[in-house]
Amino acid sequence: MHWRRTYPIVVFLIASVSSPILCAQTEPPVYKKRYIMGTVFEVVVYGLPADRASAAIDKALGEAVRLDHVMSNYKDDSDLSRMNRTAHFQSTEIPPDLYRVIEESLPYSRLSDGRFDISVGPLVDLWKAAMQGGLMPTAEQEARARDCVGYQKIKLIPPNRIEFHSACMRLDLGSIGKGYAVDGMAEILRAQGVRSAYINAGGSTMYGIGTPPGKKGWAVHLRDPSGSLNPEVMLTDNSLSTSEQTAGSALGGVSPGHIVLPTTGKPLQTQYAVNVVARSATESDALSTTLLLVGPEKGAVVIKGRKDVAAMWISKDGERTVADNGVQTFRENRTGVQTDSNSAGTNIPGSPNQK
Amino acid sequence: MNRMKPRNLLWSLIFGGLLLPQLASATLFLRISGSELSAVQDMGVKNLVFGWPIPDVSAVGKVQAQGYQVFFEAPPGDLSAAAETAEKMNITGVILAMENVDGPGDNELFRRVTSAHPRLSFLLLNPGGKEPQMRGRLVVERNGILQVSSPTSQPWVDTNLALVKLARAFRPDVTPLYSFHWDLSDALRNKLGPAAEDYCLAISEANAFHADVIVDLHEKLQQGLLGKESSAWAVWNNVKRYIAFEHSESAAGKLRPLANTGVVMDTMAPSYEGLNLMARHNIPFVVLRPGDLKPKLLESFDALVIFSAPSSAAVTALGDFAMRGGIVVLVNLRGQFPWHSLEPAHKNKQATAYDVGAGQVVELAEPVIDPEAFSRDLRRLMGFQRMTLGLWNSLTSVAVADLQDSNGETIVNLVNYALEAEPVQVQIKGHFSSIRYESPDGGCCQYLTPVQRGPFTEFVIPALFIQGEVHLRR
Repeated sequence: MHWRRTYPIVVFLIASVSSPILCAQTEPPVYKKRYIMGTVFEVVVYGLPADRASAAIDKALGEAVRLDHVMSNYKDDSDLSRMNRTAHFQSTEIPPDLYRVIEESLPYSRLSDGRFDISVGPLVDLWKAAMQGGLMPTAEQEARARDCVGYQKIKLIPPNRIEFHSACMRLDLGSIGKGYAVDGMAEILRAQGVRSAYINAGGSTMYGIGTPPGKKGWAVHLRDPSGSLNPEVMLTDNSLSTSEQTAGSALGGVSPGHIVLPTTGKPLQTQYAVNVVARSATESDALSTTLLLVGPEKGAVVIKGRKDVAAMWISKDGERTVADNGVQTFRENRTGVQTDSNSAGTNIPGSPNQK
Repeated sequence: MNRMKPRNLLWSLIFGGLLLPQLASATLFLRISGSELSAVQDMGVKNLVFGWPIPDVSAVGKVQAQGYQVFFEAPPGDLSAAAETAEKMNITGVILAMENVDGPGDNELFRRVTSAHPRLSFLLLNPGGKEPQMRGRLVVERNGILQVSSPTSQPWVDTNLALVKLARAFRPDVTPLYSFHWDLSDALRNKLGPAAEDYCLAISEANAFHADVIVDLHEKLQQGLLGKESSAWAVWNNVKRYIAFEHSESAAGKLRPLANTGVVMDTMAPSYEGLNLMARHNIPFVVLRPGDLKPKLLESFDALVIFSAPSSAAVTALGDFAMRGGIVVLVNLRGQFPWHSLEPAHKNKQATAYDVGAGQVVELAEPVIDPEAFSRDLRRLMGFQRMTLGLWNSLTSVAVADLQDSNGETIVNLVNYALEAEPVQVQIKGHFSSIRYESPDGGCCQYLTPVQRGPFTEFVIPALFIQGEVHLRR
């Protein structure tokens, strides 16, 4: 449901002083980045000699490149593009990764009553053109695109085949693919003996392996459109994903937004940014879009009972809603002093409090 | 609102009537740290830069004897001393490291020194150059990282295009010169030095933007080359292909920028990031001085972004420009303007928009706080029909289009900061029947298939790695 978003969030990073004692005890970190899936994938590895760490990162980034060739809707020769050309009303063989990621996406469609839908591509493309300065879609174009959308028209035939029950269906894995790739990268890093690493896929999905040297976890500041809460989360063998609709135009032009609600055919109107923590990046990635699309109230129902999952919705005016199944996951830091999540709002396990 | 004035296309193509054409050539200078270097013909570079004060005068003599042209790089306070020493040592020239992009600071001193040493070449080094790169978001420390989550972000590209355009506005008759130092904060990079691709990107960028650049030769590489290490020469031979491409046949001509957006400013500080992001978003613009706001020149443009308070004559010209269908964006400028008598078409906290004749005037109430959003909005406001150049599938590439005086060719230079070969779809205004593509890696020439779509020509570059140059003929 995401497409390649064409804007970065301005990030203010404040350098902190590292402990000289710890520095002396650890290998210097090895950091590498690569442009994959339309964004920057970054990996930093601690605790290994530079050559081993570097080789492990190369393998992990190579895995993301491989998966991009499977899941890209920008590459004509990707497995996804091939499937999108051939699977209409005919059973088509697809690679195991593609089968698995589609299979993993479908429960989120059911959980969200079709709001999360990997078949939303035709609608997204329509609005994307408008966002880039093209004409707004007509009602007729919109109706035509909506006819192509519907996860119920995707038929998976185990173990490795798929069939679309629509003549114009086209899948787009933008809302889950990066998470799937990050999980693949984490697996490879672990297999290479990495015990302390951080993977960042474009700022929206990240995964922490183990902990950084001398720390309890990977502290990540969460997206806060209000700029007033400064929430953060500690990642330890788990993942964080963030979703938010494109900001409106300050110059008065039309700015439809890049996340489209399949049930209405129009860009989602929401005031929230959503941050989701989960055991796997596939899950956090898919859930962040799902929870943005369904909103906090319905989102709490989606979260309820999901082990190790927590979500925080933050509005532009600083209202925040947490659903965390009773495990305090998020911390807020209004004035530079860390407090628990209850300090800024009621924290009801499994049932968000919409202030 | 999206009407394209036909004469604007023509004006865009012949744009430059009131601005000087620029030389397409770009010169590479190497800043070296050691005292020796391999032979000139092996290096493929003849200009070397030594920082002032010179730590080892004998080193300068050695490289001079090898046939290198040497320049001293000096801050304003040391200009006289550097020039005198350069004169005595028969040095080629002096590079003045300016503190501001708008001139040498003490103009009188500069004039005096340059006239006292007529044999020397004096070059002006613009401040603010940065290592060209696709940046990540992580701040990596020895014991952790700093990171803020967000929606998926477009890769951040550090480009020197805005700096080059600014420098050209302040001194149109001089090829802009900039420099940077490699970021060696990463332990591995500090040890190994920049990769071949990093040097290639720096050279490609300057070449594509028709600017001169000073690049640091990392000490490890310099030593490796001198010691005839095969790995070092593998790196440099790669780099040499890009240096050779810089000196290719097309670099000889004079070019006029293809641009339909004018950015008016008289000082760099408040607007630089806005400019930077416009460059990053491939909005073809030129920087104008407030005195350039004259009706005849404005006919060249579809949009004007105004950062400096306009004179009353300029306000009239802007109103007329909007009446004819142009877009005017005034950034954080207070005053009474003729269009205030109209009912705003759109008003919020940040902006008030007026429909003026066939065009629009938008007044931003604040400085550009989010330059990324500003550039994106500007592009959207201009609409599809007014875009002169667009790229698809390439969030990490910057393109610059020029018209070549000598043969009427339109030349598009592209730089991909991701250092990954990517297919790039290009859309350019105008109908072209012949599209020739060259690159340092693929050489010359590949003919690409043009597809006409409305007023545009589209074509696909199959794999843009770092640099590509496209020649379009009607």
